[in-house]
Amino acid sequence: MIDLSLNEVETLSAKAARGVGFSWGLAEDVGRAARRIAVEADTWGQAMLSLAEHAQSFEPPSPARAARWRSGETDAATGGPLCPIRTAALLLDEPLPSNVMPLTILDVGLPVWLHAMLRRSAMRVARPAGLATRADVVIESRAETEQSDTGRRGAIDERTLAALNSFAARTYVPESERSRLRGAGGGRVDDE
Amino acid sequence: MTAIALRPPGVVMRLQRLGAAHPTRLSFLRQLIRRAAREKWRVRKHLFDLNDNGFGRAVYAVETPAKTYSLVAFSTPLDDEKRSDRVIAQAWDTSYVLYDGLPDVADIDRLEANAPLQEAGRYTRSELVLARANKSVRLFEDVATALAQGQQPDEEQLLGVGYLLRTTAVYGNGKFGIADRDEIAARPELAGSFQAEMLTVWLIRSFTLDLVDHIARRRNPAGAARLAPDLRRALGVGNATGLGMAPFLVRHPLLTHSWFLARETALARVRAEPHAGAAERDAFSNALADLRRRIARWHSDDSRQAAATRILAADLGALAENLDQLLAKPRPWDALYRFAEDLFSLEGQEACVSLILEPHGALIDDLGDTMKADETPGHTIEGGMGCALLRRALLESYSWARAIDFAEPAANARFWYVSAEKLEPRLGERFEEDGAELEQPLATARDALGLAAALAQEPSSATVADFLLRRPEWRHAVRRAQIVAKFPYAEIHDNLIGAELRPVDILRAKLAFFGARSFDPRSDRWLRIALFSGEPLIEDVATAPSGEAT
Repeated sequence: MIDLSLNEVETLSAKAARGVGFSWGLAEDVGRAARRIAVEADTWGQAMLSLAEHAQSFEPPSPARAARWRSGETDAATGGPLCPIRTAALLLDEPLPSNVMPLTILDVGLPVWLHAMLRRSAMRVARPAGLATRADVVIESRAETEQSDTGRRGAIDERTLAALNSFAARTYVPESERSRLRGAGGGRVDDE
Repeated sequence: MTAIALRPPGVVMRLQRLGAAHPTRLSFLRQLIRRAAREKWRVRKHLFDLNDNGFGRAVYAVETPAKTYSLVAFSTPLDDEKRSDRVIAQAWDTSYVLYDGLPDVADIDRLEANAPLQEAGRYTRSELVLARANKSVRLFEDVATALAQGQQPDEEQLLGVGYLLRTTAVYGNGKFGIADRDEIAARPELAGSFQAEMLTVWLIRSFTLDLVDHIARRRNPAGAARLAPDLRRALGVGNATGLGMAPFLVRHPLLTHSWFLARETALARVRAEPHAGAAERDAFSNALADLRRRIARWHSDDSRQAAATRILAADLGALAENLDQLLAKPRPWDALYRFAEDLFSLEGQEACVSLILEPHGALIDDLGDTMKADETPGHTIEGGMGCALLRRALLESYSWARAIDFAEPAANARFWYVSAEKLEPRLGERFEEDGAELEQPLATARDALGLAAALAQEPSSATVADFLLRRPEWRHAVRRAQIVAKFPYAEIHDNLIGAELRPVDILRAKLAFFGARSFDPRSDRWLRIALFSGEPLIEDVATAPSGEAT
């Protein structure tokens, strides 16, 4: 196992999320949520790898479905599993009215991410817990948002780390000889 | 007393002015020095095990009221052809770790196997900072030779360079496995911006001076001289800073706002003072004389900086001539600032800001505590806001950007990317190089205008949350727009992807907040500086009880 700092967890996760197609803004959210998962459990690497591998199969919530949640109507699944990141982003941007909670949202992919994303809000995932691939999720209100923890590290095994690094590498630009010379400036040996 | 308005972001946050920034008494190394003196920190050489050539290991321990921190230094042989300022270098003359506590032998052995490898090594939460430095080869050798002959080195040559070693990276906040910033952010002595990094560099400075003394003494145990105290205090630590640091100010908008707001608040407070007391006048005159001496030695081969420095010298000459008359006016510091604003170059104006603040510690030093920020509040998006309202706020905050026509190739000439080779930020030419599709989100002005155009297409009832559900690609720009509306010094008011961009302007602004001097641009995208030159040595303010003194 390799012990990453939480900053490394956040940076690597954000890059991997961007590498699999999340927008820059959502990738930032994923990075911060990964940090929160790492604070709670050693499964952050597996959670991040699952997210990267499944991201393309997830669907964003439709505006119509979001309107049903907000008005307290019963949810209706729409086909593929809901993207936990897009769903959480929506709920964070415009929190659910407290009178519609607890709210059941059907067929959410990797609900651990919904849980992690909502940690900084007045909502929380009541169930399920753990690394389910897809599940119906119950969201309830809570009084206090949790503070970030310190003193934790992000343990990860080498294979998962390598896989995440390869997703992150999709955001990198290979150097050309020209960019190598011009990219950062300089290029001379110090002789002074 | 009527308040003086802060200089607005439209004045302060322009690249040209950022590129003329000067360190002030609120700069981070000055804050560190004041705290060390106030809290009576103690420093001692815990280990100094170097061979005749100066290769080996050393540990300098600093005791603060709450904690001990240690600089663990390794000095290793390096072939001249491998000595490079660039981040792509793979070996260095010296490498360092700031250790949380006092390391035992096993810790030092572990660090000796990693620190010389820098990025290729692996570190733990016990390490707070990782750094490396190369010798200024010719100068270092000349100083060692002179001292070994029992003589002091040539002062002009020594102070013309200003340092014996130059750091090429100082890493903090969790890089390569070292401790996260969160782990030290609650410790008063390290809570301020870059205090752990500044402490590391302060200690490196003493190590570099002890290193040259050690080598001279080993060459001539009976007759070597020690570097004279006034020369030791005049020398700093060099630093070479490249593009990698440039995106920091963009990526930490709340922190950036806090730094600039503190400095501008300090300036406004001093300008509002009704009179200049005798003590303040004396302190100002001393600071002006000191700065003029430094400028006389401020050398840069960069023709643009050399010209700016010459004009600065003339500006400060004019200031000296008019000083008595300006300080006799009501609100003398305001009169002085306005004199500079009317007549001086940007270098001259920003140097005056620094000079005006210098005598006024009692009035402004409390602002140092405000120069830090948790970026978390900026993460929240106010999704209930109407799209039209966001668009109005955006166009107001970014009114400066509306003059930029991004259909023009020159306005869109560059793109920021992360290099696959070094995992560092780089700047590419959009129309000449591959990779623009992997552009980093640093095109602040272009994205703000793009977001405004996208918001204009939204129905009047649409909220930001509705919009982002359909258009997640604008999430980063929405977040930034909402931050900048509340934190006006968070944004640089210039195009960061234009053909005219000089990244050294951004680097200089950040380095001035560190306390850097002697800015020496080596191109439009990297520069050399000096830190701590002319400032007290750590052993001056933090000397252990006799018997342990270094």
